[in-house]
Formats: sequence, structure tokens, C-alpha cells
Amino acid sequence: MTSHQELRTGSALEAQTNQTSITQVFRYSAATWNTHRIHYDKDYAVKEGYPDVLVQSHLHGAFLTKYCTDWAGRDARLVDLSLRVRRFAVAGEALTTVGAVTSVRAGDEGRALVDIELIETRESDNETCVEGTATIDVPLTWLAEGALS
Amino acid sequence: MAVDDAVREALEREVGVEHEEVLGEVSATLTRRYAAAVGERDPLYHDAAYAQSLGYANVVAPPNFLPGVICWTEGAPYDRLREDGTEADTHLPGVPAKGVRVMGGGEEMHFTRPVVAGALITRRTVLLDVTPRDSRQGLMLVARYADHYLDDAGDELLRSVRTVLLR
Repeated sequence: MTSHQELRTGSALEAQTNQTSITQVFRYSAATWNTHRIHYDKDYAVKEGYPDVLVQSHLHGAFLTKYCTDWAGRDARLVDLSLRVRRFAVAGEALTTVGAVTSVRAGDEGRALVDIELIETRESDNETCVEGTATIDVPLTWLAEGALS
Repeated sequence: MAVDDAVREALEREVGVEHEEVLGEVSATLTRRYAAAVGERDPLYHDAAYAQSLGYANVVAPPNFLPGVICWTEGAPYDRLREDGTEADTHLPGVPAKGVRVMGGGEEMHFTRPVVAGALITRRTVLLDVTPRDSRQGLMLVARYADHYLDDAGDELLRSVRTVLLR
């Protein structure tokens, strides 16, 4: 991903792909006690008009969360995350998240707030599944010179 | 049956009504399972000794763990599940037990404090608004719920606004 030392508005973060599976969607439903049939009953999902069981909206959110926290590491902190599900994804899809810095703001002493636009696409047809934004609290030392102007 | 004016009116009666529920303790097993299901390998979520070396009392939950958990109890009896499998009594108060299809539409989360295994969680939920929208499948209702998650000291851990789509 983009060097933490040179952040500025427009910086692109490296893509991250999550290969989903029926097993993963089942385990996520089990861990969260999500009994919605659309996530484990293919016949029901088809009846609702989908080709297979769906990735949970919260699992999409978990992928975006992971994207942000993997990038942030221990020295930065995810503060806010918003997401809108635009299109469904079925179990088995590869979902790729990309991010770009949209603004850099002053934070507490020695810190800055970096706003990131997030897009998750399904690799089968490159359609956007989720749009999101995140705010991450980072050390000032991560910013490029003049990034806060 | 799909959503109609009766469903909309039932939901609108819920607007502004706050529900407070003690969800229970975040167990280390539950949060580890959540992390494993997502594919998280970070030792902060799995290794208590590692988490303690960073100053936490136990493993930490991934940030969106709290809103990700749909049900914090043993679950409803089978005759209290909607056709789509969701719980009729505790999931979305005001929504009828039959005929309504429910989907998550997104969420806005603010992560105030890390959630550490052992925390006792209370959630306050209020339905903010209900908006009708035309969709390809007919009338759809967009409901927005505000959730506040608190620890046993009453300190906020996370707050969110989640969007639920009903057809």
C-alpha cells in the first residue's frame, strides 16, 4: 500500500481481495447468529431472485474494516466507517477493495485525520458492490510535506 | 404479502421509541470466531498474551464486531421466525412476523473505544425514520436505526446508524 510517510490527498492505497466462499458465508452467519435464509438456503435465495446465497452486508463491512485496519497497523486508529451496499455479491465471489485519500485534516496534537474513499467490486463483472468512506487517525509523520495545507 | 401501508404505519409507530437491552458478555471464543469467520489473522484478535502485551486485558474484537452480531441470545423458537428466517420478536420491532423480506443496506459506524473480551454490552436502539421508495420489486421501505453500544461502566464503545431495506 501507499507509503505511510507520504500521504496526501489523492494518495491511492493498495487493493485487497477477499475470496469469499459458501463456507465463509456460513461461518459468518454462525458466528453472528444470523438466521436469514438468504445466506445459507440457495433455493430460498433463488426464490428471492438471486443466483445463489448472498454475502452478508456486515461481512462486506468486515472486509472494509479489515482493509482499513490492515493499512492502519498499530500506529493509526480507525475512527469512522460508513458503507452503502449498492449491489449484492454471492458466495464464491472475489471481492476487491480499493481506497484513495480524499482529504487530510488536523487532528489532536501530533496527529491527523485522513479521510478515505472506499470501493469494493466483485471480480466476476467488475461491478461495484459497496461504496464507503473511512476516517483514520494517523501520526503527523505519515503525511507528505504540505499535505495539511 | 409484501410491505404495504399497514407495515409502514406499524414501523412509524416505532419511530423515536428507545429500546435498551443488555446483550451480555463478549466472550473470547465469540470474538475469536468472528475474527476467524472474516479471515482476520491479526494476533490482537486471537492471542490473549499478545493483546495483554499491548495493554489490553484480553483479546480485542474486530471494530465492526458489535453491529455484526445479529442475535445475542440463544435465538427464538422456530415458530417465531419469519419466512425468511429472521426473528419476529426481537429483530426489527414493529415489522410483522410474515411476508416482509429484510436486507441490510449499509451502516455508518463510529468506533469510540476498543471492545475487549469480557466486556458486558448494553445496546440502546431507536428507529430514526422510515422512508418509502419505489423499487423494481414494488414498494420498499428504508428504515434507519441508531444503535449505541455501551460497556458495563456506561461508556460508549461504538455508535452506528444502520439502514435496513424491507420489501
